[in-house]
Amino acid sequence: MKWKIGEHRPDRRRLLRLLGRAFVYAGTALFSVGLMGRRGLAAAIPALAGTGYDWTKHRWGFGIDATRCIGCLRCVEACKTENGVSRDAHHFRTWVERYVYLKGEKAPRIDSQADPGNIAASGSETEYRFDNRYRDAKVEKAFFVPKLCNQCEHPPCVQVCPVGATFRTPDGVVLIDHDYCIGCQYCVQACPYGARSFNPKHEVTDKCTWCYHRITRGLKPACVEACPVDARIFGDQNDPESPISRFIRENRVQVLQPAMGTSPNVFYVGIEKEVV
Amino acid sequence: MADSESRMPRHIVRLLLIFAIGGAIALIARILFQDKSYGRYGIYRGDAVAEIAADEPMYQGPGYCQSCHAERHAEWTAGIHKVVVCETCHGAAAKHPSAKAAVTVDLAGKSTRVRIAGERLEHIKLAIPADSVKLCTLCHEKMPGRPAAQKQIEVSSHAGGQQCIVCHNPHSPKIGAAGAQKAGKPGDAAAGRKKAAACAACHGAEGVSGNPEWPSLAGQQRGYLAGALLAYKSGARPDPMMSAQAKGLSEADIGDLAAFYSDASCKAAGSKSSAQLASAGKAKAAACASCHGAEGVSGNPAWPSLAGLQEAYLVNALKAYQSGARRNPMMAGLAKGLSEAEIGQLAAYYAGLKCK
Ligand code: HEC
Ligand code: HEC
Ligand code: HEC
Ligand code: HEC
Ligand code: HEC
Ligand code: HEC
Repeated sequence: MKWKIGEHRPDRRRLLRLLGRAFVYAGTALFSVGLMGRRGLAAAIPALAGTGYDWTKHRWGFGIDATRCIGCLRCVEACKTENGVSRDAHHFRTWVERYVYLKGEKAPRIDSQADPGNIAASGSETEYRFDNRYRDAKVEKAFFVPKLCNQCEHPPCVQVCPVGATFRTPDGVVLIDHDYCIGCQYCVQACPYGARSFNPKHEVTDKCTWCYHRITRGLKPACVEACPVDARIFGDQNDPESPISRFIRENRVQVLQPAMGTSPNVFYVGIEKEVV
Repeated sequence: MADSESRMPRHIVRLLLIFAIGGAIALIARILFQDKSYGRYGIYRGDAVAEIAADEPMYQGPGYCQSCHAERHAEWTAGIHKVVVCETCHGAAAKHPSAKAAVTVDLAGKSTRVRIAGERLEHIKLAIPADSVKLCTLCHEKMPGRPAAQKQIEVSSHAGGQQCIVCHNPHSPKIGAAGAQKAGKPGDAAAGRKKAAACAACHGAEGVSGNPEWPSLAGQQRGYLAGALLAYKSGARPDPMMSAQAKGLSEADIGDLAAFYSDASCKAAGSKSSAQLASAGKAKAAACASCHGAEGVSGNPAWPSLAGLQEAYLVNALKAYQSGARRNPMMAGLAKGLSEAEIGQLAAYYAGLKCK
């Protein structure tokens, strides 16, 4: 030791000065990288220009009218087919839950198409149907609720991704780049709605895209196309006459778990507080 | 030592050097390996968006079917099922029609980009639903939680185990005629008796016909009688004799006549054919029981009883359904499959049954 504590040391000051300068440089560099990241947000996607689709012009939104849903699960079937989701009872981009309030019971009984009883009723894991288990029960109230990704304004799943494999597009859809996904499943944990699932075969996470390949072509998402009772509503929130704008305007809508601060873009009508 | 005093300590220099090398490697790696489109729109690979958007849609929509299946499409558009898209029942139509057989494509193996796609089934040949009970009950089985606006049935008692498409056209399932006939004014049997004088010559004074080809009316279902008269009147069921008779009847007349005849006591016409023929008919009649009753007496006021009707009339009626001279979606489907011999057997059986 050449020096003692408390002794004047010019070296230390130099080091501090150096570190200070390094901080400034690094800060500037990070800032410019950040700027680079922002650049182009206002531009249309060049690769999609051919289709005339401009993602800065749309703000998609989704509505669920649970008072209409008949629980036929044709939306789940359509989604699996349209998006090539694994044909089993564990991976869903969209699903339907059944809430049944029996007389004298406080909490509802909840099941979905993935429930063993319902799989037995459908005959196989690749087909979907609700069984009639409450046929003879004393049912006070019952309803079906379709669920899917809420495409949050502030998606926690995007925040936690360590590799930039998931992101929110300017037209309001949270997508996954399966090339970059490393399958760490942080996002599965982060989603408060259970909307993401892990595909062990390809070791990547999967989620609903509102059928991004369809909506960018001017089609409706497959689940909306298949719904026979208009329980699913889709459209552009920028257009005041779109089905979704009407739906939001003409109903008292709610979103799931508003306290999470995620600002979902799926709006529900006709659900109970137990639906989260 | 003053020299080294003014320089940075060596371990710090080493540390900074390691940082600098690490940084340089990271920078080179970034230039070499990072996708060019990374950061174009945000902190992600910009090209991913276009790749995801490039997927081909599987569901083509009903408009796609119109060009080739125009008749089916028109029928569907006019019916109540136009809310159920074709592909919900027939499967996604991407690549249909094509000569190739259905194949299962694992996109992960086909594409350079890792695609999450377990099995994406391409229905090149579209399915004709084999089990309509399974299909239709997805939406129509009576179940707690289904909104009342959705028409639902008790499957066990409604269809009696039969396929739904025996009675319902899947593309336009509403059974209009039979359903509409059920309603109608109650009618006054006493007033009907007076008006029935004009009919006695052919149908008998008390509605029991003596002519082998003209049907008895006594004891027939009230809703069916009213419906039949309305159909003669409107021309939906043309008949040289009855069309003229029904033309002058008001709706009130029809209600009264239906009330009179349905309350009148019937008398079976009986069969002149052999008992053997009738017992062969009994075996065939199992298919008819769900609508016309196990003993030929219908439980539905809109559907006719057959027990004790004239044998020759029954034969003519079934042949009329076969030829299309008499139109009814349910009977047309059922009569289509009957041979001449079977028609004779069924007619012999029903004519010989006791009416109520
Ligand atoms: C370009 C013409 C074309 C279009 C469009 C088309 N089809 Fe077809 N379809 C055919 C031909 C040809 C056949 C018979 C050959 C075959 O089965 O592939 C057929 C057969 C079928 C069959 C019967 C299959 C069988 O096994 O007999 C069904 C059901 C069907 N189509 C449904 C649809 C539906 C639903 C759509 C719309 C989503 C559609 N088709 C669109 C030409 C077409
Ligand atoms: C509610 C379910 C349902 C819907 C919706 C539906 N179909 Fe069908 N379709 C059926 C069933 C069931 C059959 C078999 C009928 C039979 O065997 O008599 C059938 C038969 C057919 C056939 C005839 C196959 C053959 O060779 O007999 C064609 C073609 C067809 N459908 C096309 C269409 C088209 C086009 C649409 C949409 C405009 C459509 N279907 C909508 C259920 C449906
Ligand atoms: C995907 C769901 C779905 C399937 C599968 C389906 N239906 Fe329907 N069906 C509906 C809806 C929804 C309506 C009501 C439409 C309306 O009210 O505008 C309807 C209406 C009907 C009606 C008319 C009810 C009335 O108002 O009198 C009948 C009958 C019917 N369906 C029979 C069938 C039969 C038979 C099948 C099988 C071939 C079938 N449905 C398959 C959804 C379905
Ligand atoms: C034996 C003939 C027959 C069979 C088989 C049949 N139906 Fe019907 N169904 C009818 C008739 C007739 C009506 C109209 C009755 C009425 O208006 O009261 C009807 C009415 C309906 C209705 C409308 C009910 C309402 O409340 O208005 C639905 C839904 C229906 N059927 C579905 C089905 C389904 C699903 C199947 C197969 C599991 C099926 N039907 C099998 C004859 C049949
Ligand atoms: C000239 C003879 C004649 C007269 C008069 C006549 N009918 Fe008829 N009626 C027939 C014949 C023949 C048939 C069978 C027609 C057919 O096959 O559609 C028939 C059929 C009917 C049917 C249908 C029965 C069924 O089972 O489908 C009804 C109902 C009926 N007549 C009521 C009347 C009434 C009411 C009057 C009096 C206002 C009347 N008819 C007068 C000859 C007559
Ligand atoms: C899905 C229900 C249904 C089934 C099953 C059915 N029928 Fe019918 N049948 C009807 C209805 C409805 C009518 C009345 C049709 C009309 O108004 O023309 C009818 C009419 C008839 C008539 C004419 C009766 C008259 O008074 O004019 C005969 C004969 C008949 N059916 C025979 C049969 C036979 C034989 C079978 C079995 C092979 C059969 N039906 C099965 C519904 C059914």
